[in-house]
Amino acid sequence: MTTANAASAAPPPVDLPYRIIWRSRALRQGAHRSTQSGAGGLFRDLATLLEYRDPRRIDLRQTLRDPFGTLHVRRFEEKSQIGVTMLLDVSGSMGFHGASRKMGLAADLAQVFATAVRRAGDTFALYAADDHVHEELSVPPTRSRAGEAEMIAALRAYVPKRRSASALVEAARRIGQRRNLVVIVSDFLLPDAELEALFETLIGHDVVPIRIVDSRESAALPSWGLLELADLETGRRRLVAMRPSLKAEWQRRIEARRSFFRTLAARYGREPFEITDSIPWDRLGAHLAAGA
Amino acid sequence: MNLALATPMVLVLLPLALLPLLLSSQRTQSYPSVEGIETDPLSVALDWLLRIAGVVAIAALILGIGGLHRLGRTIEKTGEGAHIVLLVDRSSSMDNTFAGRAPEGGEESKSAAARRLLKDFILHRDHDLVGVAAFSTSPMHVLPMTEHKGAVMAAVDAMDRPGLAFTNVGRGLALALDMQEADTSPAARVIVLISDGAAVIDRKVQEQLRAAFARRPINLYWLFLRTEGTPGISTVPAPDEQDTPQAMPERHLDKFFKSLGISYRAFEAENPQAVADAIAEIGKLERSPITYFERIPHEDLKARAFAVAIAAMLVLLAAKLAEVRLVPESEEA
Repeated sequence: MTTANAASAAPPPVDLPYRIIWRSRALRQGAHRSTQSGAGGLFRDLATLLEYRDPRRIDLRQTLRDPFGTLHVRRFEEKSQIGVTMLLDVSGSMGFHGASRKMGLAADLAQVFATAVRRAGDTFALYAADDHVHEELSVPPTRSRAGEAEMIAALRAYVPKRRSASALVEAARRIGQRRNLVVIVSDFLLPDAELEALFETLIGHDVVPIRIVDSRESAALPSWGLLELADLETGRRRLVAMRPSLKAEWQRRIEARRSFFRTLAARYGREPFEITDSIPWDRLGAHLAAGA
Repeated sequence: MNLALATPMVLVLLPLALLPLLLSSQRTQSYPSVEGIETDPLSVALDWLLRIAGVVAIAALILGIGGLHRLGRTIEKTGEGAHIVLLVDRSSSMDNTFAGRAPEGGEESKSAAARRLLKDFILHRDHDLVGVAAFSTSPMHVLPMTEHKGAVMAAVDAMDRPGLAFTNVGRGLALALDMQEADTSPAARVIVLISDGAAVIDRKVQEQLRAAFARRPINLYWLFLRTEGTPGISTVPAPDEQDTPQAMPERHLDKFFKSLGISYRAFEAENPQAVADAIAEIGKLERSPITYFERIPHEDLKARAFAVAIAAMLVLLAAKLAEVRLVPESEEA
């Protein structure tokens, strides 16, 4: 990891709490609220013994109160697991190396999420996509630790090519029908239509967009001078005679794009979390723990 | 524009001048996405300016290295003037003053005065073609028709040499006519005869001259530097005197010229001022249109090519100095 920034050089936390506000339908036991009844700690409701044949949990008080003498049983929520999927944008724009390396930040996130998800007993999947889904960087849904280190190393070593992020939609389709917690890690510099299609595809899932931005691409633009910029995705070159008025215009455009994304994200999922230059782990943890 | 190169081989390199159109002189910096950000007209203009400056710098350098120059050439122009033959009497009497003595002190001989005034005349006639012939005992072809002022000046200066005794006007005129004959352009032709006396022209020579003058129109001016006290052109002999060419050569030469049926004027001058007036008069009269050739010398354009290259490179240098980086180089991996 070659990030210059001290904050992002801090070791990533081992655990990242995340919470969901919906109920998992998974049968496998886990750490999240689910629709299953079982041996959880949280009281859910009462049922007759005929409905729920678990004589171990006969509620004596309720049974005695019943004038018809029906046997009542307490039902408890069982905690289930969920599937956590990370959609990782490895398109050209993620190769930007400004105040930090976007790919480095993305790899940090993948590492922490993989660890946290494994510890929570959930399944973790990762799909990396630019204009096609990268099989070598992707990890199918798994609860195993095997391959995790290789995955992280591969992500860190990966240098994004000059490609668009058009296959993110395709990666999103791979997630399947069961509701997943989907973390999208990207700079969201996608055409508006593609962005909309991506969120549309993920409509059945709990979507947590994490937007990686670099201060050097907008806030810290120089006020004066000549910049010869090459678009990382299209390769198009553009000479820019930067001056305060033009800088303001650029920032206005970038902000317009960001606000479009935020509106879209808010409509389809959770409020997006933004990472500028370095990952504020505690704020990210709080954001994920809020669950909405 | 007749441009040429000393080393045309360098033109092989000229396609290199197109490189700035393909490659930028600025260091490119990666930027996530410029989509959705409109191009700025000033930046676009600047981009093209830098590219063109690059093309110009390379092309100018190549041309400079190749030794760019403009070929010397002559161009045809139209002005006012004439083709003039100065026919100068070199007889020894020309070296005397107008008073007929050898010059002493500040005095000026006839030839010196004529020389000075003729040179002045030639200097002020920009587009004339001038030939010089001299005569005394026999005619001398001094200078063919030329526009080269320096040569004409030198030829007029050469009148300084001491002359011979005899004055052979007839053969001198024949030579002047020959010189005019060689020139085929439609410009006005002028013969200016400068002499301080006349002589008998042989009958046979007279016939030849008559025929030659008849062939084409020639303006003849006779600048007669008359010595004080000698008979002039218009001196009518006294009844008791002989009216023969031998006795009064000036009067008979004038008559002969008048009988030629050409445009002819005689100026009688008894002092340098009169000579100047006569020459000015000739200058006024000879103002017909003339086509002349102006010579434009070979010009070395290397220095200019390099200057253009430097100017273009200064533009590029300014752009280079104005370059800023998104990411400081110290932070680059």
